[in-house]
Amino acid sequence: MQAMNRREWIKLTAGAVSGLALSSCTDRKLVPITSFEEDWPDYAEKWIASACMQCEGGCGVLARVVDGGVVKLEGNPLHPINRGRLCPLGQAAPQLLYNPDRIKTPMKRVGGKGANKWVKLSWDEAIQTIADNLTDLRQKGEPQSLVVFDGARRGLMQNLVQRFCDAYGTPNHINTNQPDGMTLAHDLAQGLREPFAYEFEKTEYVLSFGCGLLDGWRSPVGVARAYGYLRQERPGAKAKIVQVERRFSTTAARADEWVPINPGTEGALALGIAYVLIREDLYDLEFVREYTLGFDDWKDEQGVTHMGFKTLVLRDYRPDDVSGVTGVAVDTIIRLAKEFAHSKPGVAIADANATSFSNGTYTALSIHALNALKGNIDLPGGVLAEEPVPFKPLPEIKPDAVAERGVTMPRIDSGQGTTLGLLASPLEMAAANIVSTKPYPVRVAFFYNSNPLFSTVLESRLGQALDSVPLVVSFSSFLDETAQHADLILPDHSFLEKWQDSIAPPLSGTPVLSIAQPVIDPLYDTMHTGDFLLKLGAAIGGTVADALAWGDFKELLKFSVEGIYEAERGAVFSELSDEAYLREMQQRGWATNEFSSYDEFWEQLVAKGGWSGLYHSYGRWGKVLNTPSHKFEFYSQRLKGELETRARLNGKSVDGVLEDLSVESRGDTALLPHFEPIKTRVSDSDYPFFLNPFNSLALASATAANLPWIQETAGDHVGVKWDSWAEINPATAAELGIEDGESIWIESQRGRLKTKAKLHPGSMPSVVSVPSGLGHKALGRWAKDRGSNPNSIIDVDHDGLSGLPVWFSTRVKIYKA
Amino acid sequence: MPKWAMVIDLDKCTGCEACVVACKAENNIPFSDPEQAALGRSIGWIEVMTMIEGEYPQVKTRFIPRPCMQCDNPPCTKVCPVFATYKNEDGLVAQIYERCIGCRYCTNACPYTVKYFNWFEPSWPTEMQRSLNPDVSTRSKGVVEKCTFCHHRLQKAKEVAKAEKRDLREGDYVPACVQTCPAAAMYFGDLDDPQSKVRELSKNSRAFKLLEDLGTEPKVIYLTEGDWYGARKS
Repeated sequence: MQAMNRREWIKLTAGAVSGLALSSCTDRKLVPITSFEEDWPDYAEKWIASACMQCEGGCGVLARVVDGGVVKLEGNPLHPINRGRLCPLGQAAPQLLYNPDRIKTPMKRVGGKGANKWVKLSWDEAIQTIADNLTDLRQKGEPQSLVVFDGARRGLMQNLVQRFCDAYGTPNHINTNQPDGMTLAHDLAQGLREPFAYEFEKTEYVLSFGCGLLDGWRSPVGVARAYGYLRQERPGAKAKIVQVERRFSTTAARADEWVPINPGTEGALALGIAYVLIREDLYDLEFVREYTLGFDDWKDEQGVTHMGFKTLVLRDYRPDDVSGVTGVAVDTIIRLAKEFAHSKPGVAIADANATSFSNGTYTALSIHALNALKGNIDLPGGVLAEEPVPFKPLPEIKPDAVAERGVTMPRIDSGQGTTLGLLASPLEMAAANIVSTKPYPVRVAFFYNSNPLFSTVLESRLGQALDSVPLVVSFSSFLDETAQHADLILPDHSFLEKWQDSIAPPLSGTPVLSIAQPVIDPLYDTMHTGDFLLKLGAAIGGTVADALAWGDFKELLKFSVEGIYEAERGAVFSELSDEAYLREMQQRGWATNEFSSYDEFWEQLVAKGGWSGLYHSYGRWGKVLNTPSHKFEFYSQRLKGELETRARLNGKSVDGVLEDLSVESRGDTALLPHFEPIKTRVSDSDYPFFLNPFNSLALASATAANLPWIQETAGDHVGVKWDSWAEINPATAAELGIEDGESIWIESQRGRLKTKAKLHPGSMPSVVSVPSGLGHKALGRWAKDRGSNPNSIIDVDHDGLSGLPVWFSTRVKIYKA
Repeated sequence: MPKWAMVIDLDKCTGCEACVVACKAENNIPFSDPEQAALGRSIGWIEVMTMIEGEYPQVKTRFIPRPCMQCDNPPCTKVCPVFATYKNEDGLVAQIYERCIGCRYCTNACPYTVKYFNWFEPSWPTEMQRSLNPDVSTRSKGVVEKCTFCHHRLQKAKEVAKAEKRDLREGDYVPACVQTCPAAAMYFGDLDDPQSKVRELSKNSRAFKLLEDLGTEPKVIYLTEGDWYGARKS
């Protein structure tokens, strides 16, 4: 293997000691641990660098492979995200690889749709069947009737799927990982439709509006490392972390301060804080003057006067008013504002936990407005935009006439002409359009890395939609809820068996690319879905084949990565001291290429586990403020443009469109960060509680529920194993006569679920919290029928403006089972 | 002889359970089924104790990862009628599974409740047997097991050092839980080495040990959550 110190000594161990073999695991003798000197097992051991794909975090791993079996994963010490460390999901990866419920061969449905009866199929047959179907569609001039539901994370697999769709001729590459509200706020205020990046290590103050920093957000190990560093290692003053959240989450528990807040009022609190900043002149006057649009009242080119953000905030968001809405005390609002003002750099941060309400887009804009008020944008410790990985662009494709026409067709999930989704396309739209066969029927659907029948609230609608599609293909490794509705299941390799890349979620503004290589040969007759798409392209032939002319996904990966070698930026993962040296040199403009050829670079890249951009260049205003005004826009011209476009296409006024989208405000207010009360479907008196389906680190992976170690530990904090639970305030429970551990029903107007009550003093009296990720009806022996899936009773609602689903405003009642 | 000790900084711990799962993977700990788990028969050599204090909205949660304390004066060894559990030559509390008669005296004597009885025969689906660690023996129904501070890793580290004709260095030997801890809240080393990190941390004003007044002399040292905002370090 490659020359790495750690690995060398371990190799040495394997060579240095020899002794009696414990030949197989099944008949292993009981060896007292004291007698190892005499009885050391004899085995061949390798440590191979790869990347963990359990969640989107992009951690580097070293796999310990003993006699061809993966025995354990450790973190890759050279990896800048996790530096040798791993979370429970990473540690549980061997239970995924060796999961007895993995699908072992391609399978074809027999019997009716959803009957869950299968027979084996060869890969050649599978490819031929699909190629025949797809070729037929192209001959009929209907390539748009292929829909690809793609849950691929950041990386080249997404590019390959897009390329396949473009060459084949369908506009329907549907990314099931939808953007969150904050990403849309980034787009509306700064013109960048990408997630914010943060540098926690350098920040002084984290004002988190429900962001699940320690609950599985982005790269859990990266955030935990930053947390540990901020807590006890960073010299000087401690940074303060404030968690504003409706649940006493792990993040809330480990923050310096927890501020419980009425669900869906996070935006109001942000604006109340903005009020204090503005009123007390605590904002960054220079940044606001030089780099923002729409703070003060202003006149546009036509001479029309517009209300500024300042006027709006001072008019509507006095802390005493905000306190009434949010339930946060006035003095807390003022204190938070002053702390935020006096701790620079600080960040106001959120995730879908705060923005997944009917008012979510405006909430996100209001929270991000705090960053602009304090000028905490693109400076060390502030809110950054990540630089891209310099992949070599794939060669231009030359689509034929069929494909050219196909890609210009309206997307199947388009909200155009409807009352939904100005900024993103709801999955619900796709489901509805598939069922109604408008604007065209869907003939073939692919599902890659996604299981929306479990992970969304659309189970029955999507199920119905899938049953109306003649050919549904799933690439799942498990017979999950969605795969059960498929006609063909073409199982992908598990992540330790395949070539893959993973761009870590932005944590520092500096891109980090992990390279996953197979650490063992595939255990079963599975196929890399990337390889499959390339083979499928070849079988379809013509321009489709021309666009997909790589032998396998590894070739495509190697082709793209050459761009990094040529860019001569960043570095292959290396020891901290080397990394510091390279960073210093590159920041001073020196070239640091250590490799004589691309092959040498590639070999080292794979051996070390990946590449990092090394450093971030701050203050690139031209890039970071990518709006029409080249400024941070409190007054969003991008939003204005979208509204006007929709108005034109739908033949309505802008006010009419706002009404369609269920936005209450009109005029300038609708384009500024502001607060609108959330909409719920039923009255408080009938359904007195908010259902809060929360995310957790342990269940951050789609297949986590079928890993016994995760089932054993996910509920440890409340003393629950192998089951769901509902966190209820003890006083509330007493009123309802519910005791700890009792079975209860949680009922919404859509349905009810049964689970166990856990009385938790950190529960808000008006909120009942149930974990997301349990309660499968399929997936595998350990996941099935364990716990309850809150998605089954959540109201199907949207933030009208964004089109993103609302997760957290379902009202419920609770009673003993 | 080194005095192996662990320091756990509760101010950094996020209660993520990575240590728990890493330990299960490293030490071939069988998983329970839901029925056994409901009877309290799951085994975890290290577990995260969660203590929730206070009333809404003034609530605090403390996460306390709890491995075997590897007491210098262990109560469990004294009650074993068959010398199955004893303090070994590395100062660690060891368990000889072949000798254990399953009487559970030690389980009851341990004030930290970190000795676990095998109530069921451990079993893994055939596929999963590929991922068992060959360095650690599996245990059978009816015996008691516990955290060993990954003693097999010490054995290996010693072999390596011997082959390289040198002494053990700081970091050569680290248990699986410490190695994986995402927040770097866990430290491991020789308490008698004046240069070691654990020695330095053991002198910290935040340091404490669990049930120290029992005279067990635990070798797991905790650092309490401390100096909250307001009491800024200068």
